Amino acid sequence: MEPLIRKATEDTPEIILDKDKNTFSISERSLPENAFDFYKPVYEWLEQYITQPTEQTELHIKLDYFNTASAKQLGKIFNLLETIKYSLKVIWHYYADDADMLESGKRFARLTGINFELVEEEPEEDSDDFKIIYD
Amino acid sequence: MTLEQETTFKIYDILDTEGLSYFYRGDLTASITDGILALTETNLTKANEPVKVKKRVYTILVEGLQNITRHQDETGTWKSFFGVEQSGEFYYITMANIILNENQKKLTSQLDKINSLEKEELKDFYKKTLMENELSEKGGAGLGLIEMARKSGNKLQYAFKKLDDKWSYFYLRTYIKHNFAAVNSDESHLNFGNIFDLHEQLDKENVLIIFNGIFNQESLINLLSIIESQMAGQAALKKKVFNIMVELLQNIVKHGISPIKQEGNPGLFYISYSKNGYKLHTGNYIKPDKIDSLKENIDKVNNLNNEELNEFYDKRLFNFQIDNNKESGLGLIELRMKSNSKLKYAFKETSEKYTFFTIEVTIKD
Repeated sequence: MEPLIRKATEDTPEIILDKDKNTFSISERSLPENAFDFYKPVYEWLEQYITQPTEQTELHIKLDYFNTASAKQLGKIFNLLETIKYSLKVIWHYYADDADMLESGKRFARLTGINFELVEEEPEEDSDDFKIIYD
Repeated sequence: MTLEQETTFKIYDILDTEGLSYFYRGDLTASITDGILALTETNLTKANEPVKVKKRVYTILVEGLQNITRHQDETGTWKSFFGVEQSGEFYYITMANIILNENQKKLTSQLDKINSLEKEELKDFYKKTLMENELSEKGGAGLGLIEMARKSGNKLQYAFKKLDDKWSYFYLRTYIKHNFAAVNSDESHLNFGNIFDLHEQLDKENVLIIFNGIFNQESLINLLSIIESQMAGQAALKKKVFNIMVELLQNIVKHGISPIKQEGNPGLFYISYSKNGYKLHTGNYIKPDKIDSLKENIDKVNNLNNEELNEFYDKRLFNFQIDNNKESGLGLIELRMKSNSKLKYAFKETSEKYTFFTIEVTIKD
């Protein structure tokens, strides 16, 4: 199966769906204008994948941020993946200071029959904005 | 209708809504400056400006921004003000920063001198000033002003507004014609128009940033990066503002309409700060026949408590009947949940075909 790889842009996430390497992840931020269109190939790839999945699938979701339009598409993806829930684990990464992302993870876990593992990450150092100095 | 919404209409009335403008009010930092420059670049590129015009606008912006960062109020009482407007064939660049009252005289004579010079004379004056500066090792001293006058090819309009016994606002404004080949000498372009009204209104409402123009995904991304950098150090709050901004602005992109043919929808976005926290405001046109359903949807989420909101969100999240590029059915619920406050809104009929819709979201600290 051909892998599906998308590099992250300023408004779309990095997508890695690679069956041969057994690597599956969605990372960075997701706020495309047309989330439905963006996630369509992802959904279709997974539709095909679940017909012949690997023995154990770990899907890593490591998003800093997603908009509601993307939430809907994630919901659709999890809904689809319920088909292989006995061999699937979703690893939901969230930063320790990001209560909203933790809540989202819990929500998806609650609403699907999928096994979710919520993993806390150390927040990145927020570099202090520096005042510009000219001359 | 609340007072706040009247303000949104008021501000929209002051602004030239045929064009595009953004104003920034507050302390300027390197990343905010970068954001303003990026936003301008996007708009110049969209407008297909020749490289020459772009470069000139850019130089004036950089000089203006530097001028402001050199003269910011350390006490934080008075905020700097910076704006770019595009209207008809012209770009207007306006800036205001505070100065000591005692410096007004010196600035006035400097500007009068610059304005009295023709193109070639300005060039000589620039060189002379540069050399004098090198000798005195002081830097600054009007070089930025000369450069701005040279790049715009027009006079620099200025004004002072006394704030108290010590400080005044110093306003500076210039313009560039799109097609730079023909220098326009019509002095009427240099008056300050509605700038003082606008600045006063923004001061009164404690507005931090205001963007009036065409909304599309690209302008959204640039606005986000400005806001992100402005709120450095407040991770949780920043995320909330970011969240709500995306939903509000994508609503304009997806559901707004445009009375004139163009790419994207015209509208207004601004952030203000009050004792209750940050307030995000948008205004855009919708079709009058959408009013009832929009009203119904907002009232519905306003009347739900947290638990009910959660249930409603769950239900909508897995309702795949509502699933296309236009809507997910989640936006309003998210706005209400993330802000933890009721959404305020108002409609103003502008014509039979268009209604101006404003919404305000308060993010409690």
